[in-house]
Amino acid sequence: MIHETFAATNAVVTLDVALPDIFWGWYVTMNMWAKSIGTGLIFMLFLLHRKNSSEMSGLRTPAIIVSFVMMNIFLLFTLADLHQPFRMWHIFFYPHWTSAITVGAWMATIFVGLEFVMMAMMIRKDKCLLTKNATASFDKLLFWVTLLAIPVTLYTAGIMAEATARELWQMPTESVQMLLAATLSGSAAIILLGGSKLSAETKNFFASILGLSALLAFILYMSEYIFGSMKAEEVTATLAYIKGDGEYATMFWIGQWVAYILPMILVALYRVSKSNSILTLAAILAIAGLWVVKHVWLVIPQLLPMS
Amino acid sequence: MQLGFLVDLHLCMGCKGCEIACKVENEVPLSTWRLRVKYVDVGTFPETKRTFTPLRCNHCENAPCERICPVSALHYIDNGIVNIDKERCIGCAGCVMACPYGAIYIDPETQTADKCTYCAHRIASSMMPACVVACPVGANIFGDLEDPKSNISIYIQEARGDVQVRKPEKGTNPHHFYTGAGNVHLNPLASQRIEGYNLFNKITHLPLGGHHE
Ligand code: SF4
Ligand code: SF4
Repeated sequence: MIHETFAATNAVVTLDVALPDIFWGWYVTMNMWAKSIGTGLIFMLFLLHRKNSSEMSGLRTPAIIVSFVMMNIFLLFTLADLHQPFRMWHIFFYPHWTSAITVGAWMATIFVGLEFVMMAMMIRKDKCLLTKNATASFDKLLFWVTLLAIPVTLYTAGIMAEATARELWQMPTESVQMLLAATLSGSAAIILLGGSKLSAETKNFFASILGLSALLAFILYMSEYIFGSMKAEEVTATLAYIKGDGEYATMFWIGQWVAYILPMILVALYRVSKSNSILTLAAILAIAGLWVVKHVWLVIPQLLPMS
Repeated sequence: MQLGFLVDLHLCMGCKGCEIACKVENEVPLSTWRLRVKYVDVGTFPETKRTFTPLRCNHCENAPCERICPVSALHYIDNGIVNIDKERCIGCAGCVMACPYGAIYIDPETQTADKCTYCAHRIASSMMPACVVACPVGANIFGDLEDPKSNISIYIQEARGDVQVRKPEKGTNPHHFYTGAGNVHLNPLASQRIEGYNLFNKITHLPLGGHHE
């Protein structure tokens, strides 16, 4: 009933191939989410070292183990997402350096290797063959691993920027979002790991990082949500999936509330009440919500017909 | 040498001969296409018009697919074609995410990326691409863009202002042109895809092939 419904200027596709389904789905969401926690924990450990290294004593080993596990989850899902996972070695033997995927794979591998050394040092302690003073060596290595964690957390933004087809993923914004995802989930993870080992002052410090990361990330998403559609046609069409009764509107708002709005409110309440359970809840919500936020932003540009 | 395509949409009648020829020549598996002809209906009855647009890889000069490929499976060859080495491909789908024209698919049989290669294997044997040979009205013009006497260069010169590429704002510099094209032909967002309006089938989305299903 085209003649009844559409004006002459409108057009309807009447014969074309079916659109492909989502290529980068929840495997890639897992990849980004786990990497944010893995690198974020390293950032927080480094900050703790600068701020009050005496509080690191019970945290070095659990933090490096959790970070290492998260980085391995990230690598596992990266591998699982490949249609030819057994050819992963091609990246190392035929690297193409203009690709952020290549650069990222190399950096992440070195990063995980260094984390393994740090973990081995802390577990073996006095029996470690590499060093006589495991803690001091750990702290020295922490500086270099923190430096490396910056590009490791950013490179996914590089991949998104190189995905020319997906107008929604703009480079400066995605870089900032990746860093904020790392500081949000990293601070949440260290709050959960630190528990009673952290002093009230340190907890306040990480709570502030959590709250501020949530606020800044939320502002960025809202800026895109409100203003993004005023410039580019493709962004307008993509954002339609999270507006009104769009397919991903509910999931988008669940993510924003759970990852950002509720943690912000809970951090504010914590500062007044000093209740540890409120802060713990904020940390758990931030980590869980981040997955949802990342997933929605990953999927919606893939719903658009490209041709 | 810089090989390129031009489709004269004044001539194209949407017979899909090129689509079939491509499928046969390149043994393109079921539910995947290197080249297809899209129909878009425009207007209000009885003032309606059906447009036909053959769509294939544009062999971009500044190809996002080549740039993002981590293993150089997508690469330029001397005649300007953006080719693919399926043995090298790791199936990361980076190219699928990068190509602004939706020209790349994952071959469900080999689990690697694939796309139109301008029939590079035929060109190596001095033959025309299969789609050019199959077109009954000569709407596909193929040749060397750097040779001013080639068919395609002459066509472009004669068509003057009426030569367009898809999504020029992406900065990819396609080596694939259209004459007689309007917004509806070239811009996927200029037309709607509405459930129940597709001729012959009701499938709007295809599941991904292989282990990702
Ligand atoms: S049209 Fe797509 S697949 Fe073809 S060269 Fe350009 S970016 Fe690559
Ligand atoms: S899917 Fe294959 S061709 Fe495409 S970017 Fe990945 S490795 Fe390269």
